[in-house]
Amino acid sequence: MSAPPPPKQSPLWSMLMQPGAGWRFERRLYTGPVREFAAVIIAIGISVAAAGLLVAVAGAGVLEAFRGMYEGAFGTRDSALETLVQATPLIMTGLAAAIAFRASIWNIGGEGQFYAGAAGAWWVSDLLADLRPAPLLFVFMFLGAALAGALWASIASVLKAVFKTNEILTTVMLNFVMFFVLSWLLAGPWRSPNTFYYQTERMADVTFLPRFTTDSRLHWGFAIAVLTAVLVYFILRKTPLGYEIRGLGANPVASRYKGANVGVLIITVMAISGAVAGLGGAGELLGLHHRLQLDIAVGAGFTGIIIALVARLHPLGVVVAAVAFGALINGSTAVQVVTGIPAALVQVIEGMTLVFVLLAAVAARYRIVRTSVSHG
Amino acid sequence: MGEILTHLLTPAVIIGILAGAVRIATPLLLAALGEMVSENSGILNLSIEGTMTLGAFAGFMAMSWYENLWMGLLMAVVSGMLFSLIMALMTVTVKVNQVVAGLALNILGIGFAFFWFRSSFQDRSSLDVPTVPTFDTADIPGLSRIPVVGEVLFSQHWLTYFAFLMVPMVWILLNKTRYGLELRSIGHNPEACDMRGINIVPRQYAAVVFGGAMAGLGGVFLSLASTGMFFPDIAAGRGWIALAIVIFGNWRASWILWGSLFFGLIDALQLSLQAKGLSLPFFGDDYQVFLALPFVFTIVALVLNRSRSRSPLSLAIPYHRGER
Amino acid sequence: MTEGSSAGGVILKIDRVSKRFPGVLANDAVSVDIEQGEIHCLLGENGAGKTTLADILYGVHHPDDGALYLKGEPLRMSSPKDAIGAGIGMVHQHFEFVPPMSVLENVIIGAHSKQWLDMGQARRRLQELFDTYDVRVDPDAEVGRLSVGEQQWIEIFKTLYFGLEILILDEPTAVLTPQGVEQLFGILRRMRENGLTVILITHKLNEVMEISDRVTVLRRGKVVDTVDTADVTRQDLARMMVGRDVVFTVENEGGTPGGLLLEVDEIHVESESGRGSLEGLSLTVREGEIVGVAGVSGNGQNALFDALVGVREPSSGEIRLGGGSIVGLSARKIASLGVASVPGDRIRQGLVMDFRVKENLILGRHRSKPYASWGLLRRRPVDGFAKQSIDEFEIMTPSAAHVTRTLSGGNLQKVIMARELSQAPKLLVVHQPTRGLDVGAAEYVRRRLIQERDKGAGVLLMSEDLDEIFNLSDRIAVIYEGRIMAETRPGDTDLEEIGLWMAGISSEPDAAGASASSGNGAAGE
Repeated sequence: MSAPPPPKQSPLWSMLMQPGAGWRFERRLYTGPVREFAAVIIAIGISVAAAGLLVAVAGAGVLEAFRGMYEGAFGTRDSALETLVQATPLIMTGLAAAIAFRASIWNIGGEGQFYAGAAGAWWVSDLLADLRPAPLLFVFMFLGAALAGALWASIASVLKAVFKTNEILTTVMLNFVMFFVLSWLLAGPWRSPNTFYYQTERMADVTFLPRFTTDSRLHWGFAIAVLTAVLVYFILRKTPLGYEIRGLGANPVASRYKGANVGVLIITVMAISGAVAGLGGAGELLGLHHRLQLDIAVGAGFTGIIIALVARLHPLGVVVAAVAFGALINGSTAVQVVTGIPAALVQVIEGMTLVFVLLAAVAARYRIVRTSVSHG
Repeated sequence: MGEILTHLLTPAVIIGILAGAVRIATPLLLAALGEMVSENSGILNLSIEGTMTLGAFAGFMAMSWYENLWMGLLMAVVSGMLFSLIMALMTVTVKVNQVVAGLALNILGIGFAFFWFRSSFQDRSSLDVPTVPTFDTADIPGLSRIPVVGEVLFSQHWLTYFAFLMVPMVWILLNKTRYGLELRSIGHNPEACDMRGINIVPRQYAAVVFGGAMAGLGGVFLSLASTGMFFPDIAAGRGWIALAIVIFGNWRASWILWGSLFFGLIDALQLSLQAKGLSLPFFGDDYQVFLALPFVFTIVALVLNRSRSRSPLSLAIPYHRGER
Repeated sequence: MTEGSSAGGVILKIDRVSKRFPGVLANDAVSVDIEQGEIHCLLGENGAGKTTLADILYGVHHPDDGALYLKGEPLRMSSPKDAIGAGIGMVHQHFEFVPPMSVLENVIIGAHSKQWLDMGQARRRLQELFDTYDVRVDPDAEVGRLSVGEQQWIEIFKTLYFGLEILILDEPTAVLTPQGVEQLFGILRRMRENGLTVILITHKLNEVMEISDRVTVLRRGKVVDTVDTADVTRQDLARMMVGRDVVFTVENEGGTPGGLLLEVDEIHVESESGRGSLEGLSLTVREGEIVGVAGVSGNGQNALFDALVGVREPSSGEIRLGGGSIVGLSARKIASLGVASVPGDRIRQGLVMDFRVKENLILGRHRSKPYASWGLLRRRPVDGFAKQSIDEFEIMTPSAAHVTRTLSGGNLQKVIMARELSQAPKLLVVHQPTRGLDVGAAEYVRRRLIQERDKGAGVLLMSEDLDEIFNLSDRIAVIYEGRIMAETRPGDTDLEEIGLWMAGISSEPDAAGASASSGNGAAGE
């Protein structure tokens, strides 16, 4: 038996199919925050380039589209404020996802929990319509929203804690269920008698979240969202609970051996995550729409997942990413008007950005080493 | 309640529901079988929903360009394979967390289909939905004349027959061929296979791409057999239900068949009741409750059937040679 | 040269092979000539570079420098596939089989040439091999359910099925009883008779002396020397291996056992896989006493560890600590009663590798004072404790804020020891405390255990290293299939007797073999 001939392959082929021959990726023991951050920035750069390519393929001027995007998102004071309006629900759903993902609990149910929160807030406002003073009413409405979001999330977490049911699938299913439950409520019991649409009566003025300026839609929900982000950061870094959440995410086995009650922890994390998403729903209801309907911030839950992942699960990074994605949403409307490129471009860019960030994050963990395997 | 029973006990209705169940089970079965093969190689592909959407879209577009249904079918398969190639690249080669990669590709797949669809039909108003002709059902000569059975099983689409044929095919592939043995071994213990000189990477690629092709077929069934239309949420959760079917089908082709039929049955039942305009106790004639049923049942089924005995031991765990 | 290496001639030449990993030079210009038909041992401490060299010979790693020659021809390998093609097989330290599949399926994976599986032909071929080596295993048995010894045979037959010429075994005896080792060596000798070449990696001197024709000693990645086994003594090899005269034991004057501390009474604990559950295990630990639990892994050590620290609840039976029952208490509660633990799998069970070192040092106590108060983590006490631990235990880390992942194996264990010993535990449950550590670190860990015992703590030491058990224990209990098979004192027994017990064979002549062992043999005095 003699040695087989050395494989003749291009470096690229070897790297793809046989990491090990000729060129090799070598894993770093530790990546470090600087490299991770750089990876995200590079990935975003690549996504922008890819978006440009897509625009060009769709037959529009790339620079024109980018300028339209920028003008639409930040060009004027009004558009900049509107970007923040768009970012508001995304911060909340992004935080909701980030908390759960930190514990390696894959809560894909942000969308359903968001709507559960909105429904909870509306229900409380209806129940306690005469409650004064108004701040007390707000407290109860937000409480109702947080509770509704947390409870909806708890269906999945209790099933996971007790039966080890896969939370990815249950939370996805619960999104659909929430949509139909809400449709049913809005078609039947909660429907306003004065309208043809599936929606409730317009809420009383007293339930409106105050706005920062009279000439924009930016409401206190944004401040609440930023505050929540700071709070989540604080919890994760400075409290025993946050310590346990990070421990559970990084090594559930060791957490269990060192005394963490994993079941209770799963339920707690999901409850917090659901509550944050629910508060986001309440913010949109009370700050913008003032009536419960099926299309308050459609897809905010899913976009929140992207935002959390792009922000590498960092709560303050979530705020930045949410504003960027808010700008994208806001700007793409302008792009559609200027160039005719459909605003659905946003979703493609979101998806691409996430894919590139994920790839870059892994790439940052490696360095490429040339091996001298071909000598002999 | 009595009204519902009278409706359901009519022979014609029963046959209709059963035939509907088989039809509705088709895309679930296709997607779930493909996913099962992929998971057997250790790769959890969560992007089935996105792949189905893309398949439905590619088929629809090809149909509107070439006005040829088979061309549509082909494009759906090709798009499913290309898209899952990205999944394979991310999870097998780059070793991104498989859950996260799947979520990302779902978003990308649906977004891409939606964007391209809008770009292609941007002049139309949103109420003017483009439609294309669909596959006709293909009666199997002789067999389709058998009473009841013929109507339920042998007056279906070609794709439905294909899906059912794939059940034994996939079983044979996994259990009777060298490739299947290697694939299952990789799903349980990739390191052992690597040490036996089996090149894991191309096998996992192949399994994932096969899963993508099957999901693409499942998707095109929706656009070119069921509806003749495309819309962004055409998959409507079927990709996710397919994932659930793999779990409570315990990674067995035959159980996956029964799981798909079960969901087809629930959906066919609710469609029949809804079409008849019958009202439920308490919920009245609000059909939304019916629509929620398959999703509620998925959760219930996941809780009730938790046997994981045949779950690949290394599912969703990336393999790095030399790292233990 | 001894009788085995009859054919002679260099079959595999390792020529100045070097291999570098981040931070370590694992192999430094290693040159060894392996001769046809010999059993050649690669001897060295943990971290000497043995496994890296073996992985290079099997195509898992690629040398950064140097070359391999097979029968004079350059041998270039980019993966194990190439090694197999060249006639080289390997049995890894941890087994590489697919547990839910049958023996037959496992054996043919990667070795079946036809597209369609031909199980009949494969079965005949395997049976022939079994007959040649006089081994009896059901080809249809699920490999995950076989005994550890049988699983190892399967690993060997997997390579024989390929028709190899050179077999590499990496620490094959770590998981075997002394009798299992004998059986294994029997197979290896027969392979030598059949003209095959065996490369055996080990750090156990007795085995080298018993089986090998020649031995190459490695230290810190370099070859110290290659010698004929017949020309050297055990002491010679030890000196070559460590680079100085070796003290085989840690100084241990024995403990002075006090009052009864831990009573485990007839506990049954289910294990998830069905193997390694406890079937009515009883034992006791006194204050100021080290009780060594000897046994082949998989006989219930994990379940016992889990039950004692509160991760798995016994389905029946009683565990009393200082007289009070701890069954059903949470892991946190049990820890607060003074039970500290060093788990067998330190990376998976003992540490959060992505945490900072200082965070790992308070794992499990992050909710108690002084590290937390008013619902907040307190930075200063945490930092203070980290500094103290790093100094006292000589943990090699650039800083307390560094990510734990960057530490070496010995230092990881020191982090766990620092954490677990800081609270002056009453009971210390340790599982495989020195596995994978170099001699220095292992000595340190053993000395700390004796120190804790001398301070009055009870220590339950579960280990597969019999030298360690004999060296440290005041009392030895042998665990077999979820029960204590026998109990004795180090002075009253020898390796052979312990080995028989570990294999489930009772030393009393009238006992009827393995399954008839009685759980009551465990009751103390």
